[in-house]
Amino acid sequence: MSELQSSLLLKKQLAELNKNPVEGFSAGLIDENDIFRWEVLIIGPPDTLYEGGFFKAHLYFPKEYPLRPPRMKFVTEIWHPNIEKNGDVCISILHEPGDDKWGYEKASERWLPVHTVETILISVISMLADPNDESPANVDAAKEWRESYPDFKRKVARCVRKSQEECS
Amino acid sequence: MGNCLKINSADDISLLRGSESFSGQDGGPTPVSQHEPMTQVFYPTSSSSPGDAAGAGNHMSEEDQIKIAKRIGLVQHLPIGTYDSSSKKARECVICMVEFCVDEAVRYLPCMHIYHVHCIDDWLIRSLTCPSCLEPVDAALLTSYETT
Repeated sequence: MSELQSSLLLKKQLAELNKNPVEGFSAGLIDENDIFRWEVLIIGPPDTLYEGGFFKAHLYFPKEYPLRPPRMKFVTEIWHPNIEKNGDVCISILHEPGDDKWGYEKASERWLPVHTVETILISVISMLADPNDESPANVDAAKEWRESYPDFKRKVARCVRKSQEECS
Repeated sequence: MGNCLKINSADDISLLRGSESFSGQDGGPTPVSQHEPMTQVFYPTSSSSPGDAAGAGNHMSEEDQIKIAKRIGLVQHLPIGTYDSSSKKARECVICMVEFCVDEAVRYLPCMHIYHVHCIDDWLIRSLTCPSCLEPVDAALLTSYETT
């Protein structure tokens, strides 16, 4: 897969998302001359703590996409067990393919070259609604989510408010 | 785009027959010519090939390089055919999302999913599973192959 093919594939996805937007997020480029760096705006999924929020995130695609996954990072502050405090998203479908070093992820849960911006974001949105407690990236958030849910809720609500202010 | 190389050679399913040794001592089965550029990327002597699949290869141990070389040998035993538009097969390669051209070389996995040869070969080096259905690509063959 050459860099040219990677960029063609990403251009195709961008055009398709512009033509037929998908509910729950909007997608564009950070810099219109660089197809490998995307900016997405995720709408906090309804009936979750994140409802009403507008969360900006960046996707960094490697030149080997789709053979290797992109990295995803929230730019808007967000409190979630599977998102590191610096915004890095830790989700198994964005983990490199190959031999499973840790032995706890099935191949089906890891990166596949059929994933697109759309399928990645659908997974991330479902992760917002339903945190994975088993492999937390933000241990404090995970602990709070488990043990002191009211505090967790309060922190998320603060992020939601902040995200609204940043977007207005 | 650039995917429409036509080959007239018979598919190499014939290579699966018989009981050739996969030990690699004899240099292994002859690779099909159109795979040569990719194979070269993984030769242990290629110190500075910035090829895409070799991205992870710069710091590879000799052991990993041997593993990959073996895997390339294995992948090349999967049959290649040419795309035939009259069939009800997939119309595009789900890896690159480009439509197949008639007579274009496609690789058949054991689950009968098809892909452009170069798209799927690059993937199988990384993970021996079908990207569409996650069926392991001939796990049985691989086990017997790796323990030799």
